[in-house]
Amino acid sequence: MATQAATRVEQNACSIRGLTVVYRVERHEYAAVQDVDLDIPSGEITAVIGESGSGKTTLAMAMLNAVQPPGRIAAGSVVYPTAGDILRLSGKRLRRLRGDSISMVFQTSQNSLNPLKRIGGQAMDLARSHGRDPRGTLREARDLCAKMSLDADRVLTSYQHELSGGMRQRVGIMLALVLQPEVVLLDEPTTALDVLSQSEVLQILRDLQRERRFSAVLITHDMGVVAELADRVAVMYAGRIVERGRTRDVLIRPDHPYTRALIRSIPRLSGDLSEAVPLPGLPPSLTTIPDHGCVFRARCAYRMPICDTVQPPLESVGPDHDSACYLEGFPSD
Amino acid sequence: MRGFLLRLARRLVGALVMIWAVATFTFFLIRMIPGDPVAAQLNMLEQQGMSESQAAARVAGMYGFYPKDPLPIQYLHYMQQMAHLDLGQSISYTGVPVMHIILSALPYTLGLVVTGIILTFIVGVIGGVFAAIYRNTWVGSSITVVGSILHGIPQFMVALLLAYLLATAHPIFPFGAPYDAAISPGITWTFLSNLGLHAVLPIAAFIISGFGFWALAMKASVVTTLGDDFILAAELRGIKPSIRFRYIARNAFLPLFTYLAIAIGYTFGGAIFIEQIFDYPGLGLLQLNSIGVHDYPLMQAAFLMITVAVIVSNIVAEMLYTVIDPRIRTAR
Repeated sequence: MATQAATRVEQNACSIRGLTVVYRVERHEYAAVQDVDLDIPSGEITAVIGESGSGKTTLAMAMLNAVQPPGRIAAGSVVYPTAGDILRLSGKRLRRLRGDSISMVFQTSQNSLNPLKRIGGQAMDLARSHGRDPRGTLREARDLCAKMSLDADRVLTSYQHELSGGMRQRVGIMLALVLQPEVVLLDEPTTALDVLSQSEVLQILRDLQRERRFSAVLITHDMGVVAELADRVAVMYAGRIVERGRTRDVLIRPDHPYTRALIRSIPRLSGDLSEAVPLPGLPPSLTTIPDHGCVFRARCAYRMPICDTVQPPLESVGPDHDSACYLEGFPSD
Repeated sequence: MRGFLLRLARRLVGALVMIWAVATFTFFLIRMIPGDPVAAQLNMLEQQGMSESQAAARVAGMYGFYPKDPLPIQYLHYMQQMAHLDLGQSISYTGVPVMHIILSALPYTLGLVVTGIILTFIVGVIGGVFAAIYRNTWVGSSITVVGSILHGIPQFMVALLLAYLLATAHPIFPFGAPYDAAISPGITWTFLSNLGLHAVLPIAAFIISGFGFWALAMKASVVTTLGDDFILAAELRGIKPSIRFRYIARNAFLPLFTYLAIAIGYTFGGAIFIEQIFDYPGLGLLQLNSIGVHDYPLMQAAFLMITVAVIVSNIVAEMLYTVIDPRIRTAR
């Protein structure tokens, strides 16, 4: 039993336990991420899906111990096998970890570059900051550019204003991968792009991940992106994980009413547009998340008396598939 | 590089047009001053016993045109002379070419203004960076408060206070000449240090009255840059603090450069008062004195020279801007 637990930990590129992040709003602290447990298996893509304000970006920032004020990590641990609990690190040790073994691709990579410095120069700054060989890093950058069908010579000698949005996003991916990190956090990497660039960037990410086998956390609000890219998915609602499992299982046999509603709200290419059923109501805002009972009950069609009192725990509903709902088996619909 | 030269050429053509406009303006200004100084000069010379043609020739030497000619012909002669860099002769320094007087005063003003601007800029920008980094401590707030107060005090008040406190009440610094009469000019340490010592008070007046503006502007710019996405991104990429500081400093510094061109104009304007208060023999003092003694050719030339200095400095500032900002460099 003990050996099994040990192997499990080794297989995880990151283990999040009991993570709670609070934001201070007018002298009260509200939890944007509440008691989250999540394992990021090595060499796989784990998606975290949720609506705006569900706490998914806060979760990603917490994984770098970079929650910005007025936010604060109130409890929990984020353990990486080699570095330990990143939430206990600060100063130089924390800095050396960021960008080196754990890196991030930003939603607004358009704005993630220094406007006064050539891209190649910024890659060299990155190398110098982490004690790597700048020339070797530049070679690696060139290699990555080529893989992303960018003209390396041109891009590396360009300033960001000379590149298009899609190119800048690819440069963001290049900078995140150039030091060959173990874990890559992808924070809505395609949201700011047009549809064509989106599918291009997704393709690139999939190819690079298959080739390099880094562990990725993909933050998104797009079920289509999850289906296309992720090995596993965790569904977030109001700062909590309400369902998690292998992508196939969650998409084919969703258990939580919220996941079901999300999947049913996707318009299909074949079939009538009216078959897509929108989820009524709005997610709670930070200050209106209920502090007891199920966070989803206000919008849930299957609300029961018990839902008002205690938040249902994540429980197994199948092999490697957990859901936080009291409902046992769905009434057929 | 080719783009740089092209832009420079375009700026220079623009500058020539502007100088021409200012020269034209001064020409008509002098002609339109009530009492017509040129006619008055002619009358005076005739009353002193010169013949009409003698007097007219003297006036032509001073102003560059014959006073009895029709206005367009006068203007033409004036412009011809100007094209040969001949600015006429002074009235108060009888017979001395104006160009000569101007050129002997110009280095002092340029020295004061250029040193003043550069030092004010450096001191102010450093103050602003500290005010931004330590904005939540007493260091930052005191820089901000001192900056606001200094910014509110008129420059001539600062100059008067300095002159009174450090040259009259406590004669620590010399006053009233660019260097001691006993020292012969040359590239020697004695001369240069003496020259510098005499310039301390006027330059200090520039720095004290300009510090507030630069410190407050730089503080605001740094605080804005600190909130930029790419600075957070650099932090999350684990960029070294020293490199991160350079990212912030360069990006925050850039908008200030735009103000530099404006500040150059103000500083030349301020030089008129500061030179007068410290009795420093630059263009500003020359201009004030020429007004006092109705030396119109000299006044006209000093006015023109200050304009040219402002225009040229603006071109320098603008060309520097294109060097440090790649976005301007590629834009047409």
